[in-house]
Amino acid sequence: MRHDLMRIWALWRPRGGWLLAGLGVAVLSALSAVALLALAGQGVAAGVAGAGGAAALLLTRPMVAIRPALRWAERMVSHEATFRALADTRVWFFRRLAERMPGGLGHAGAGEARGRMIADIEALDGLYLRAVLPAVAAAAVVLAVALLLGAAPGLAALVALPLALAILLPIWLARGAAPAAEAVTVARGAVHRAALDPLLGLTETLANNAETRAAERLSAATAAMHAAERRLSRRSALAGSLGTLCAQAALLGALGWAVAGSGGLALAVLGLFLALAAGETLALVPRAGTALASAGAAAHRLLAMADTPPPVAEPATPAPMPAGNTLRFEGVDFGWGEGRDTVLRGLDLEWREGERLALLGASGAGKSTIARLMLKFAAPQAGRITLGGQDIAGLAATGLRGRIACLSQDARIFEGSVAENLRIAAPGAPDAALWRVLAQVGMAELIRALPNGLDTDCGEGGARFSGGQARRIALARALLPAAPLLVLDEPGWGLDAETERAFLTVLEEATRGRSVLLITHRLVGVEKPDRVLRLVGGKLFPATA
Amino acid sequence: MAEVLRVDRAAAKAGRALLGQELRRLGGRAWLPIVLGLSVAAAGVAQAFLLARLVAGLMGLGNGGWPDLAGAAALALLAAALVSAQEIAQGASGRAARAGLRARVFAALLAAGPADGRAAGEKASLAVERVEALDGYFSRWLPAAVLALLVPLGIIVAVWAFDWVSGLVLAVMGLLVPVGMAVAGIGAARASRRQFDALARLSGRFTDRVRGLSTLVQFNRAEDEAQALGAAAEELRLRTMRVLRVAFLSSGSLEFLAAGTLAYLAWRHGALLGASHPNPVTALWCILVVPAFFQPLRNFSAAYHEAQSARGAAAALAPLLAESEPPGLLLEEVPPFVALSFTEVKLTYAPERPPALDGLSFSLAAGETLLLSGPSGAGKSSVLALLLGFRRPDSGRIAINGQDITRLRPAELRRMVAHVGQRPHIFAGTIAENIAVARPEAGRAAIEAAAEAAQVLAFTDDLPDGLDTRVGEGGHGLSGGQAQRVGLARAFLREAPLILLDEPTASLDPGTEEVVLEAIRRLCLGRTVLIATHSAAALRGLPGRVLALEGGRAAGRRLAGE
Repeated sequence: MRHDLMRIWALWRPRGGWLLAGLGVAVLSALSAVALLALAGQGVAAGVAGAGGAAALLLTRPMVAIRPALRWAERMVSHEATFRALADTRVWFFRRLAERMPGGLGHAGAGEARGRMIADIEALDGLYLRAVLPAVAAAAVVLAVALLLGAAPGLAALVALPLALAILLPIWLARGAAPAAEAVTVARGAVHRAALDPLLGLTETLANNAETRAAERLSAATAAMHAAERRLSRRSALAGSLGTLCAQAALLGALGWAVAGSGGLALAVLGLFLALAAGETLALVPRAGTALASAGAAAHRLLAMADTPPPVAEPATPAPMPAGNTLRFEGVDFGWGEGRDTVLRGLDLEWREGERLALLGASGAGKSTIARLMLKFAAPQAGRITLGGQDIAGLAATGLRGRIACLSQDARIFEGSVAENLRIAAPGAPDAALWRVLAQVGMAELIRALPNGLDTDCGEGGARFSGGQARRIALARALLPAAPLLVLDEPGWGLDAETERAFLTVLEEATRGRSVLLITHRLVGVEKPDRVLRLVGGKLFPATA
Repeated sequence: MAEVLRVDRAAAKAGRALLGQELRRLGGRAWLPIVLGLSVAAAGVAQAFLLARLVAGLMGLGNGGWPDLAGAAALALLAAALVSAQEIAQGASGRAARAGLRARVFAALLAAGPADGRAAGEKASLAVERVEALDGYFSRWLPAAVLALLVPLGIIVAVWAFDWVSGLVLAVMGLLVPVGMAVAGIGAARASRRQFDALARLSGRFTDRVRGLSTLVQFNRAEDEAQALGAAAEELRLRTMRVLRVAFLSSGSLEFLAAGTLAYLAWRHGALLGASHPNPVTALWCILVVPAFFQPLRNFSAAYHEAQSARGAAAALAPLLAESEPPGLLLEEVPPFVALSFTEVKLTYAPERPPALDGLSFSLAAGETLLLSGPSGAGKSSVLALLLGFRRPDSGRIAINGQDITRLRPAELRRMVAHVGQRPHIFAGTIAENIAVARPEAGRAAIEAAAEAAQVLAFTDDLPDGLDTRVGEGGHGLSGGQAQRVGLARAFLREAPLILLDEPTASLDPGTEEVVLEAIRRLCLGRTVLIATHSAAALRGLPGRVLALEGGRAAGRRLAGE
């Protein structure tokens, strides 16, 4: 837990200024509370001793206004610092996902990632706001109290020791609360998944009358989360009570010291007021234990996902991009992991610059794997892949991906307009270029007829369009960039035969001068490839259309 | 602007109604924390009295001593225990409220179906985050609000009885607290609703982009998206700070009032004490009780912004829960055979778009197969959506065995239907569990038979765990063709009289396509089947008629294979 929290703390270093400012104001604010009551105590004590004390009481007047002002500033600065750090953490997390899981999230799932992005990162705020900040402020208060009561060491010990104990409690409490906090975060993730999965598959859920079962599953996940929360809240309540008791012990200790007649009444009254002042700051500290445990559990889950090893490590010093664009597979072996069959076995492939290849094979034969290997979404277990004679393992992934435009089977249409979706492939592309590729896939007329044209919103996953139309927008997107290599994985998927034929007929013109790899389970007869290859048993064999 | 305000106000009103309704559901559970809170306050007031006696005794103004100290310590222990109990009871009532609401929100989301076009991530955030945001209302704000009224009132009465000036000061300061909070809190409800919208936007955008992460990475756009997400996260920070600024201002004003009250009472009673006060213990008590007076107000102020965000969340949830369950009849039993007819059916999704179905008529005898063909957008998917109860026709009549289907509850209509979509969703779980979705009471043998019939076993036999292989959310590890075969296996298992297939062989290679077509042929036997397909030619060999659709109408009909 400590290690995870230290890493999060290190991530926040760029916000160090804000975080330190928050600590500074918090210390000032806590000390102002001590000052206010110390002055009041001194005044009362002097009054009791018959020595006036009017000066001290006069000084309390400005403190009455300064104290709330400092408290307000403390809250504003510390929250500002925290939310800046959390926003940074969210961006960092997305970057890590893109870097570590470039080929998609797989089993971990988008719902899980969302739970971490929203709830877990939010829970990290406890690290600063409810642990570090109150602990630092409380330490300053204890120190000040001990110094002010230095004249009577016995009284100082009676007041300061219970207060110091309140600061040490969280460390002890955090250890016990950690498993409970971990259970809460895990259970919260399960609730997210139980809600999201049936909604992602809404059609299947409804068509199978599975509403009740989905609801039961969500209720069960909620109940499990609540059981974990109950355990954690018991710990938190215990910590709160212990904190109050520590502050009360200091207060009653000061009074006991006076009743025992150990010293002057004036000092005892000062001690009483100081204990009152410290109680306010310190009562919150023991709860830092559960806050730390919750933040630690959230940090652990966040980092576990962010630390997924990347499928292909980036070279430390990437080789310069080669001039040529011939892509070669040499004796490539690949399998998706332990216990699953190897997909490719000693595969050789030469895809020459400007060549139009068709790659056939049964579903599950590993056709798409070839595309994923080229894009460095996965690394071969044996053999090598070269571009222009240069091993792609030594090339920067961004440089490599800039050379290859790809329409994958899971190409996604994002929420946003048609134009935004197309420009994902080529950010600066002018409207004319967008219309050109839309015409090539036979979508230009349809989109022109829509009231908002290129600005029409696509909906989640392209839901505003039919399956075939959305697929064609994805296809248009792949055609847009001027990448010399173009991989089309099942471009005809979801298209009616006529549209598919029409597209494949213009494909030659649309991709003139570029290398094209057409991955498909069948040819319709108009593709005119230079060569046809068939993937069988993990190897490629020449075939005829 | 006026329009926006009116909508805002109506939403806020609906949200308040929702919270009130939920409170009635909670009943006695909501009162326990309040009773415990009153006991805590009583212990605090009593302890202040003992401390006053003790201090007076120290000043030589009374006979307080060790017994008072012991009493104060005992009360401290009692108060600590009561505070713990109160906190635990508050948690319990918050959880009860959340559990009930989440179940109702989720049920409403499912009942609304695909007609509610919001993104799945956004809907999930309604059922998860927004319901979580209601917790503070029930667990903290509600008890704090009641205690903030009762406890200060009791203390004012007690102090007034002794010294009416002190009582009056407390009363005035106590009344100023809500005034200060209200002044600081103007516009707070809308600020907190905006904060929630910012959170939903960030969450929705992130889910959408993460689901297409490989697409972004492939086009080297991950960094741009990181920047865009950064902007969304930044907006959330600004919105959150706007909500908190209000909360902090109101608690700041409260602290100012508390400090002022304490200073005034110390001055007043200090002077009285100097002038040989007749009742020094009560005078000291008036000072020492000030923290107990302000503590409930402080708790109220701290919980205040929770009430604001809860009201914001409730306003977002209320419209969803206000929709009553679609009316309709229940199906006595699933009929063994189904005859289907469409008569002049019209369906329009949005007024600015051409109608999806424009007077479509056709009929289908029991046990017959009909191929609906036509280009995308011709209305094939709309026919299926109507038969799944996701939409109701604007006009015209759809009948099953002569009965108008709109008279049935949508879920009841779906009991007669098995549906395989273009890209069946694969739920997180094993492949066997994914098939069993269609009929949860089915035994292992039936699941295996369905898997066999839909050619699922053909690829699971190569997997180490076979049908028990785990597949993730979105069906990672399964190709498009494999997911489609899992969908077909569901249809086999479901044993429904009406089968709806949407492009059943679109992503299959020729070898698999042959076997799957054979499987579909068997699935069709004795059942009424509607197959939407781009080209009837791709489904050659399937018996039945072809109905070509164009622009939402029947363009022509012929026999398959013609």
